[in-house]
Amino acid sequence: MNPLISITLLMTLILSTMIVMISSHWLFAWIGLEMNMMAIIPIMMKKPSPRATEASTKYFLTQATASTLLMLAVILNLMHSGQWTIMKLFDPTASALMTMALAIKLGLSPFHFWVPEVTQGIPLTTGLILLTWQKIAPISILYQISPSINLHLMITMSFLSILIGGWGGLNQTQLRKIMAYSSIAHMGWMTSILLYNSTLTLLNLLIYIIMTFTMFMLLIQNTTTTTLLLSQTWNTTPVMTTFTMLTLLSMGGLPPLTGFMPKWMIIQELTKNDTLILPTLMAVTALLNLYFYMRLAYSTALTLFPSTNNMKMKWQFHPTKQMTLLPTAIVLSTMLLPLTPTYYILL
Amino acid sequence: MSLVHINILMAFTMSLTGLLMYRSHLMSALLCLEGMVLSLFILMTLTILNSHFTLANMAPIILLVFAACEAAIGLALLVMISNTYGTDHVQNLNLLQC
Repeated sequence: MNPLISITLLMTLILSTMIVMISSHWLFAWIGLEMNMMAIIPIMMKKPSPRATEASTKYFLTQATASTLLMLAVILNLMHSGQWTIMKLFDPTASALMTMALAIKLGLSPFHFWVPEVTQGIPLTTGLILLTWQKIAPISILYQISPSINLHLMITMSFLSILIGGWGGLNQTQLRKIMAYSSIAHMGWMTSILLYNSTLTLLNLLIYIIMTFTMFMLLIQNTTTTTLLLSQTWNTTPVMTTFTMLTLLSMGGLPPLTGFMPKWMIIQELTKNDTLILPTLMAVTALLNLYFYMRLAYSTALTLFPSTNNMKMKWQFHPTKQMTLLPTAIVLSTMLLPLTPTYYILL
Repeated sequence: MSLVHINILMAFTMSLTGLLMYRSHLMSALLCLEGMVLSLFILMTLTILNSHFTLANMAPIILLVFAACEAAIGLALLVMISNTYGTDHVQNLNLLQC
């Protein structure tokens, strides 16, 4: 793609999320979300192929539906309150509609069906942008309307997401689909705590972005998209296997790695509010997630996966791919647990 | 809620149902998307004119601008699909299933 167009699209993508985050007028926030969708569709179609076209179409249809539902909620809010300020919504119907519109944008259950298919059809770098940067704008709106969200709707959607994210990822060998189901499950964890303590939603978002960024950078390093290819990294860069295993365990939420921090805080806040069944079920269902991460770690790092004989005599070329921020990201996604009290900066 | 508002919300709901349950052509999904945005335009105009909220008189036009951009992107994707498959039948979009 022409570098000028590429820069324009990336700048529009960044600008659109900034617009959503800083705006105080509902129309402006809606414009930011529209720009977001419009900027990422050409990025998804960088290398035109039938899979990329299909992924872009599915993404476009779901996000456009969500945008119009959001606009309907904004107009209903205008009818009932007479003003356009982004604060809690004044009508329960508008609130339910807007929550569902943002759930479609994020990929929460029961609107999660587009996430694995779209993530599968696009290149790894675009998948990284889709699963990390695109989550910031809808979560910032959810954070701002959180006083008026219906509790039952939100908890149902988040618990369903955790279940679907756990069970859906079990039968996958394609790594992009596994990351998509991991994203669905993490979104479930993030939105479960939104109505009790919204700061932890932002903490979970931050830690999730760091861990997903690390995982995608490790995958981009060797351009691995399937479990089979990932299991052959011991041949090319053996040190990556250790980092892959640590990042996967961190995403599964094991102490003493960073991924334990948001889960621990969320379970603590939920138990403080006397909801005991929900965090128990959430913690147990997180084991499903951990199982398919462990399966990947097993075939990558814990065993030398069998390969054909000529694989063992590969030339060890000097790596030419840029390892953008990889060492920083690995350290951040495995060693941040002692810094847990600093999440108060997000307040 | 007055009859006029119910009428327009029914129009929106019909278009939404059409978008979610289209049979074989992707074009009908794009048309229903446009129908949804059109009903939102009318609803917004009515609300703003009814409450004499003169400062917001621009808002429906801005909504229409972004809806037109969205329609253009939808049509561009439809053209890409037509290039690959020759038709816009949605049963062709089955490459990415598990």
